[in-house]
Amino acid sequence: MQNNRTFFQSFIRNPMGMIGFFGVLLIVLLGIFAPTIAAYPKGYGTEILVAPGSGMLFGTDNLGLNVFAEVVWGARSSLYVSAIAVLVAAVIGLPAGLISGYKKGKIGSVIDGLIDIFLTLPVLPLMIVIAAIVGSSIINVAVVIGLFSWPSLAKVTRNATLRISEMQYIEAAKCLGIPSYRIIFKHILINVAGPVLVNLTLIMATAVLSESGLSFLGLGDPTTWSWGAILKKAWDASAVIDTPNPWWWWLWPSVFIMFYVISFNLLGTGINEILNPKSRE
Amino acid sequence: MARYITKRLLKAFLIFFVSITITFFIIRFMPSNPVDLLIDPKMGPEVQEAMMEEFGLDKTKGEQYIIFLKQLLQGNLGTSFKSREPVSQVIMQKLPWTLLLLFIVVILSLAVGIPIGVYSAKHRGKFSDKLINIVVMVGISVFVPFLAFLFLYLFSYYFKLLPTGGAYTPPPAKGIRYVIDVLKHAILPSLTLFTANVASILMYTRNSMIDVLEEDYIRTAYSKGVKENKVIKVHALKNAMIPTITVTGLMMGSMVGGAVMTESIFSWPGIGRLIYDSVSALDYPVLQGSFIILALSVIIMNIITDLIIAWIDPRIKLEG
Repeated sequence: MQNNRTFFQSFIRNPMGMIGFFGVLLIVLLGIFAPTIAAYPKGYGTEILVAPGSGMLFGTDNLGLNVFAEVVWGARSSLYVSAIAVLVAAVIGLPAGLISGYKKGKIGSVIDGLIDIFLTLPVLPLMIVIAAIVGSSIINVAVVIGLFSWPSLAKVTRNATLRISEMQYIEAAKCLGIPSYRIIFKHILINVAGPVLVNLTLIMATAVLSESGLSFLGLGDPTTWSWGAILKKAWDASAVIDTPNPWWWWLWPSVFIMFYVISFNLLGTGINEILNPKSRE
Repeated sequence: MARYITKRLLKAFLIFFVSITITFFIIRFMPSNPVDLLIDPKMGPEVQEAMMEEFGLDKTKGEQYIIFLKQLLQGNLGTSFKSREPVSQVIMQKLPWTLLLLFIVVILSLAVGIPIGVYSAKHRGKFSDKLINIVVMVGISVFVPFLAFLFLYLFSYYFKLLPTGGAYTPPPAKGIRYVIDVLKHAILPSLTLFTANVASILMYTRNSMIDVLEEDYIRTAYSKGVKENKVIKVHALKNAMIPTITVTGLMMGSMVGGAVMTESIFSWPGIGRLIYDSVSALDYPVLQGSFIILALSVIIMNIITDLIIAWIDPRIKLEG
């Protein structure tokens, strides 16, 4: 049964995956078309702290800037940061997982040990220090997040590789004298693509959490709008606990962070269910 | 068992050694010069040099590393650039607050997450299970500051029930009133971290319970006529706990990360807040010391969870 359906056919029948997919699509469209949707928020507006509804969809902040425009431009930087973070994580994590899973022996256990150490370390504090000192340009923040997101990917890749490399066709490839790097990056990589893909969507999700966290702590790029940066501004202006309370200032960016993370998590869960029908309820 | 513990301790030591080395070099190879922040530029070069020497910054990186390891063995983490107090002293003032917070959160998350996870596994596929799954999906996606904001808005701004920050109302009260005051201040930070962590514990308990319930020995227990409650509590729970405990140990690292944000928002005087304050001052020794202590706490937690698992599942210590 399963084999008769293509991945795509199964995917459109998976409600979780589809909801996640459309959520991700929405964010991507917001990010790409940000300049057409809303003007880049800068300078000062005339009406400060206007509640949502009265002409301003999400209200305005204490400089009179449109919160909706800030959130839309925030989608752009969130996508940018998480995409680069995923790229960095993949560049380190994939080879690390593939090599340690295929070679086993000494190299394998050294890499495995490193993965364990990085999984144990409290990562966010480490990111805070590095982000603080390398300077908070958006690309630096993205690379720092990527540098600490590879261990989970490496672990997943390693486990899948360990399983695949026991298979007979790999044995056959070895006997044919195909060089190791070609076996690893051609024959094994394609077959571990499933779990890797799932993990990459999860990294997209956690990367935006890290980025928002760093920006919220004041370590983001001050020249770019990001959801965490909006929250920081709102927090610094005591928008959460002061009267009158401009709740729209911190609620919308938070809702978008959660929406982004949930969408990517759902997408990952959906893909996982299609690849491992056993895990489906 | 002794052999297993020795092996486990050696591994922990290795992880600890590698982590302190990584943090040392990461922090020392940063481009910024701490002297710029420490010393007024109007001061003469002699004063600057003397201060460089005092902090050991004039030596090569290799020598600094040797000095650092030697001092570490003596429990000396250096002197804070900012407050000029010994780092170990600064950290020890903050550590109990963070440990208190983490302790409350771990206990609460286990006490709530495990029973609900078991319940969900028992009612697999039914409406209640599906509902719990949705809540879990939202829970694992939660952004810690957002939670903190929601709770602050509700409990401190709207209902005016709880304090907005700090760990006690100054000046600290005496005796039982102090304890009550601290607990009152701890409610919102703990609730925030708890909500952010309970979902994963619930999810792992549910999934491993589902796996265990499909095992042959569970079917045997049922066919012997054992009641469902007893099968779950006596036969299944012990094995289902293993992944949950492992995850609790692994979550310590991310919990500490969540604690940094929570402590910063609620002005909780723990290590998370200390890290944040030290970053803006480029206070290397305090940052480094905070990492070492946090990494050490996480490693110790992992040893404890590993020992608990070995105690539950004797196969593990035999393999070890």
